[in-house]
Amino acid sequence: MELRRGVILNLEQDKKLVDNRTRVRRLMRTSIVVLIILLFLFPIIRPPLFFLTLFFSVFMYVALTESWNLMGGYTGYVSLGHVTFFSIGAYTTALFMNRFGVSPFATAILGGIFAAGLAGLVGYPVLRLRGAYFVISTLLLAVIMQLIFMNWEFVGSSTGLWFKLLPVSMETNRLIFYEVMLVLATLITLLVRRVEKSKLGAGLIAIREDEDVAKTIGINTPWLKMQAFILGAFFAGCVGGIYGYYMSYIHPDITFNINTSLLILLMAFFGGCHTWTGPLLGAVILSLANQLIVTFIGAEISRILYGLLLVIIIIFMPDGVIEYIRASQFFQKERTS
Amino acid sequence: MSVTYILETIISGILFGGIYSLLSAGFCLTWGTMKVLNISHAVFAVLGAYMAYWFFVKGSLDPLLSLPLLALLLFFLGGIVYRLIIRPVTKAKDVIMASMVVTFGLAIVIENVMSYFWRPDPRILKPPYTGASFFIGEIAISQGPLFGFVLAILAIGLLYLFLYHTYTGKAVQATWQNPVGAALVGINPERVSLITFGLSIASAGVSGVAMAFIYAFYPSVQMVWTLFVFLVTIVGGVGSILGTAFAGLMIGFITGVSAAFLPFVWVNVILFALLWFILLFKPEGLFGA
Repeated sequence: MELRRGVILNLEQDKKLVDNRTRVRRLMRTSIVVLIILLFLFPIIRPPLFFLTLFFSVFMYVALTESWNLMGGYTGYVSLGHVTFFSIGAYTTALFMNRFGVSPFATAILGGIFAAGLAGLVGYPVLRLRGAYFVISTLLLAVIMQLIFMNWEFVGSSTGLWFKLLPVSMETNRLIFYEVMLVLATLITLLVRRVEKSKLGAGLIAIREDEDVAKTIGINTPWLKMQAFILGAFFAGCVGGIYGYYMSYIHPDITFNINTSLLILLMAFFGGCHTWTGPLLGAVILSLANQLIVTFIGAEISRILYGLLLVIIIIFMPDGVIEYIRASQFFQKERTS
Repeated sequence: MSVTYILETIISGILFGGIYSLLSAGFCLTWGTMKVLNISHAVFAVLGAYMAYWFFVKGSLDPLLSLPLLALLLFFLGGIVYRLIIRPVTKAKDVIMASMVVTFGLAIVIENVMSYFWRPDPRILKPPYTGASFFIGEIAISQGPLFGFVLAILAIGLLYLFLYHTYTGKAVQATWQNPVGAALVGINPERVSLITFGLSIASAGVSGVAMAFIYAFYPSVQMVWTLFVFLVTIVGGVGSILGTAFAGLMIGFITGVSAAFLPFVWVNVILFALLWFILLFKPEGLFGA
């Protein structure tokens, strides 16, 4: 009798807990939607241009980190070649605009398709490699592509490419790019979230846990990895297309800079790369911090701080901030009570 | 394009391949023994080059004389880095990945500290004896690369002697071949790792000095050197010091041949494309186990 009462009590407590959790979750979801709407309406109050520029880069890093996370986070295949797909997008936009006069907002998708095509070509051999060999081969991909674009006359080689500017004022220009990047980042994040909850996402996580076991229970691991790789490259290409037009000048040294790949990786690791919330959090915190430090202190110091952060994160929080918060005392108590 | 020119290019390619052999030998040693992929390896080479440079400029101490002191200092620095940064990471689930990320951070920190304090200008180490050239018949070999090469080969020889003819060296090798077995017969893995890491950093410093005889160096050159280290290590395979040394010479030879016939900018494209193909079809390396 005692025992049964205990069980019933526990059940009731559990029900309350579950209710609490759904309430918290619903609250969070509403606040995120409200936040996005507020961000969308933000330009109405005519903020200084600095904020639009700052938020543009935050949205861009959110989009890039989320798209990287499809491969790097869920499957654990850490790619340093993400910047290549991003640059392919930027170059596609530049070439189509300069030679055929197509609008960049249309060619951004085309840039994504080209990037996805390259990912398909490269992915077939590269995705057979594992661990350090995969990392090194994607690093080499980034380096080789940079060298090729540096020396290829057709794409402007080392002089780079200029874009024709939009025929509007500076303020309107910034405003348009702000809104476009916000929409793009939101879309990519939602799609990545969708993938995470889908069968594809489950398969990708199975690959991270143990690829051989995943294979033996009948998961088509090469195809899943390929899908994630191509999808991530597609998103990065789209973002690159918009970014190139925003910068109005692209050069292999800037767009193909391997540091961008590292920043993305760092943001994902910082936030925690096992869920879609981690990269979002990491990208927002670190890109804000990075922009502010670069603007107010200096590039070298900012990179020193970045490197130190990377070292400290890996030593103390090997699973990222999100996991660290989840595993912390506060949430543990709630779960076990 | 004369035969002399081609021969000169090939020989200078091989000379500089020898230096990359030494740089990669240390990298290969940590990867093999500790399963740690040390991306900050080349940054310590640049640090070594700077130390030799400052000894030479401020203390007018010849680079060849300051070398033992420099190697000792870097050995201790390596020990400290191992204790503070590498050892916590070797307890992670995926050691290779965690060590890659952590040493990447370390490389960024050291590179930017160097360029913050010492400016990012290119510098070159120019003791009086590197300026002249040495002739074999018609072929001119400048003495800078020659000194660098001899230095590198001597250092590889010393590493080899240490690994194969001393008790500690044999312990390192045993750990490389079978970490559990080595621990079972009473080899302290922590001590072996400490010594390996220190040695590897010291050898990186020596190769940095050798490199500074040939090329201008600046903090961000470490990225290029790191890529070459990958190139040599992957071609050689993480098998042995001698395999790495041979791979370095081979890469030097290929660089020389392609530099003789192609414009300079495409040489690196060819080299990295080659590395890519080796990675794809024979990831264990040409001389790997």
